[in-house]
Amino acid sequence: MSDTNANKGFIRRFLDMPPDSTVKTVTVAVVLCLVASMVVSAAAVSLRPVQDLNRLRDKQRNVLEVAGVYEPGMDIAEAFSDFEPHVLELATGEFTDQYEIDTFEELATSGDPALVRALDEDPAGLGGTQQIFQMVYILRDDAGAIDKVVLPIEGYGLWSTLYGFIALEENGNDIYGLQFYQQGETPGLGAEVDNPRWKALWNGKKLRDEDGALQITVAKQPPAAGQDYYIDALAGATLTSRGVDNLVRFWMGEQGYGPFLERLKAGEI
Amino acid sequence: MAQTRKSQLVDPLIDNNPITLQVLGICSALAVTSSLKVALVMAIAVTLVTAFSSMFISMLRNQIPSSIRIIVQMVIIASLVIVVDQLLKAYAYEISKTLSVFVGLIITNCIVMGRAEAFAMSNPPVASFVDGIGNGAGYGLILMVVGVIRELFGSGSLFGITILPTVNNGGWYVPNGLLLLPPSAFFVIGLLIWAIRTWKPGQVEEREYKIQSVEAH
Amino acid sequence: MGLRSFFDRIEPQFLKGGRFEKYFPVYEMVESFIYTPKTVTTVAPHARSYIDMKRIMTYVVIATIPCILFGMYNTGLQTNMAIAEYGASGWRAAIIEALGIGFNPANPLANILHGLLYFLPIYIVTLIAGGIFEVIFAVVRGHEVNEGFLVTSMLYTLIMPASAPLWQVALGIIFGVVIGKEVFGGTGKNFLNPALVGRAFLYFAYPAQMSGDRIWTPVDGFSGATALSVSASDGVASLPEHGISWMDAFVGTIQGSFGETSTIACLLGLAFLLATKIANWRLIVGCLGGMIAFSSLLNVIGSDSNPMFAMPWYWHLVVGGYAFGLVFMVTEPVSASHTNVGRYIYGALIGFMVVMIRVINPAFPEGMMLAILFGNVFAPLIDYFVVQANIKRRAKRNV
Repeated sequence: MSDTNANKGFIRRFLDMPPDSTVKTVTVAVVLCLVASMVVSAAAVSLRPVQDLNRLRDKQRNVLEVAGVYEPGMDIAEAFSDFEPHVLELATGEFTDQYEIDTFEELATSGDPALVRALDEDPAGLGGTQQIFQMVYILRDDAGAIDKVVLPIEGYGLWSTLYGFIALEENGNDIYGLQFYQQGETPGLGAEVDNPRWKALWNGKKLRDEDGALQITVAKQPPAAGQDYYIDALAGATLTSRGVDNLVRFWMGEQGYGPFLERLKAGEI
Repeated sequence: MAQTRKSQLVDPLIDNNPITLQVLGICSALAVTSSLKVALVMAIAVTLVTAFSSMFISMLRNQIPSSIRIIVQMVIIASLVIVVDQLLKAYAYEISKTLSVFVGLIITNCIVMGRAEAFAMSNPPVASFVDGIGNGAGYGLILMVVGVIRELFGSGSLFGITILPTVNNGGWYVPNGLLLLPPSAFFVIGLLIWAIRTWKPGQVEEREYKIQSVEAH
Repeated sequence: MGLRSFFDRIEPQFLKGGRFEKYFPVYEMVESFIYTPKTVTTVAPHARSYIDMKRIMTYVVIATIPCILFGMYNTGLQTNMAIAEYGASGWRAAIIEALGIGFNPANPLANILHGLLYFLPIYIVTLIAGGIFEVIFAVVRGHEVNEGFLVTSMLYTLIMPASAPLWQVALGIIFGVVIGKEVFGGTGKNFLNPALVGRAFLYFAYPAQMSGDRIWTPVDGFSGATALSVSASDGVASLPEHGISWMDAFVGTIQGSFGETSTIACLLGLAFLLATKIANWRLIVGCLGGMIAFSSLLNVIGSDSNPMFAMPWYWHLVVGGYAFGLVFMVTEPVSASHTNVGRYIYGALIGFMVVMIRVINPAFPEGMMLAILFGNVFAPLIDYFVVQANIKRRAKRNV
């Protein structure tokens, strides 16, 4: 190594520098950060559309499942096109076109204070506030009449907030199905809310009796109103069952979709 | 290097296993082993991250200033982990949902850092890559064993396919709920270490204390 | 004596160099079960005491006798009462009918017999399953099979619900013996109570069979809530409406595991253990103090949404496994603290934790088992600090 550095190129000279010199330390750090950030952002940006689509499909699949039209391997996008999404104002039970369907989800999760209202009573454990608008889905039959409505519901169980959908028949009173797509309850006990055999219990149950009183109950013993309104609680999961009971009664009641279901029943939609 | 390529790949499986001998990477082994499918994806992700981060770090090893070498290693590992996370979200959405935060936590997995610091900093790129694959496989092997035990006896299935029909679904098997809870992986890994050290007594550590005995006179 | 000479004759076979050298622990177990151990201290200084490990363990088993008897009576009583409504079935019913005793809950003998038919299978399975693993470890490790297992198996049986499936009973005791005791080196080196480890294992592994309202009385279709779960949902004031008075809970004619329902039976055992100085009174004082102090504090704080806050200490004492745990588990000398100051702290920690879990944690109505295991884990740490504090204090004195 007797020849002088002058003979070498710039890069060669840099590489030959002792690793612990200040110049080299700073340069390595800067270059590495630049390269790493470029790699990471390139991956994030180029994969973003696929990821968004995945998220969308996942949600759509849950809507399809709860409405009982999902079959493994089907084209989710096509099946989902039968559903009409609407942004619903809970208090009035009317659809609003204030918000774009496509961007509503993003807006709803942004925490905009104009979109939430405080709750005086919070039996479903929503943390004291509730979204004023909800995205609901309507499935129509070939003749254009309403077949089912799919409504998002959420509430606190034992350890976690359960997020799901409930599907109702066109009369707004008969339950078609209920499904949670996100929950963190005790495996083997509360997490059995995902068990198909338990979910099947909901099919055909009724929300309200002839007098219009909300009767649907998740409990260990059938209520006075009778079997039509009764879902057997999960064995060994008292608090999760109570949470589901509370959240279903809350969302089906006046603070939830009550006004909307009234209008649905009256045929105003 | 005295090690052959083959021994680099095979040694970390049992003889020098990162989990059972070095007791590294336990946290993720607890979290992701309740279902075999998730454990497999996690094992592959860790293997890839370990192999590639070891390779890149080894390529740069003569240029990395020692004063900032840990940070440099972290940046390389973290970037790879983010890329893996993004890929999973794009092409294996269901699994990335179950793995959720644990993919990101590969960064903190001691195996990755451990191999970078202990091996890649002083060995050529190809050897480091193979070393990463070997250690990732050793980690993956234990993950799979724990995953088989936990999923089979905890939910009566393997890879989601029912093997032992459970009572809740009309079968006869009463699933062991403890195995679905993360602490159970402690027991399973502990028993595995016990079994391996009984089989290979060379892995038993020296006592840190001495039991004294006095003869009667 | 023919038996003695038989033992003397076969003994050489099991000593060093004999044919069955490996199986000495098995020989020793049977021999010392029948005769007093003949090994004596050979190294000075000699400590003279009438008490040895075997006697300690035997005394504890004797102390559980009231609980065993009452447990059988209560299990039989609850079952016979439920049978009046739901009907009898199974092999136990067949035996009782064959004997012509019947299911009259007013007849104490019929109750005890019916309870015995539930108690015995669980106890026998516990002895066999746990015993096999005890012997395996004794043979492999070359130590002796210890009478401690008799205590463990008895306590374990007494904290089982009567309807526990036998295979789960076996699995639980094996887990308790292996993970709770043998992996740490056997009796005397276990820092957890093996019976509780087994019970906790079952509690988390098979919650459907180990908790809830349907398991305490083994009659199909019968559902009876424990005093604790009633209080957790409706408040302690509603207990009399559910047919549970304080006296019922104190005497023990309520729903619960075999041996833990009766506070008075536990207190009889406690009197015996204290009189023979097997149980250390400091542990009892600490545990009672912690429970009374913390539950009274919660009474004062109060809560609108959680009725458990209002439960007074004298109810905490008689419901669930508190009394049983206090008498037989907290006082267990190996897993408790070993210093006198530490014993107060250890007891108080358990007393505090049991109220904490019962009242504040929504998922577990009963907290005694978890509280004791929690205390077990902290016992060495408590001892360490007590010893360090002592060293510091004495060092200061000598400056």
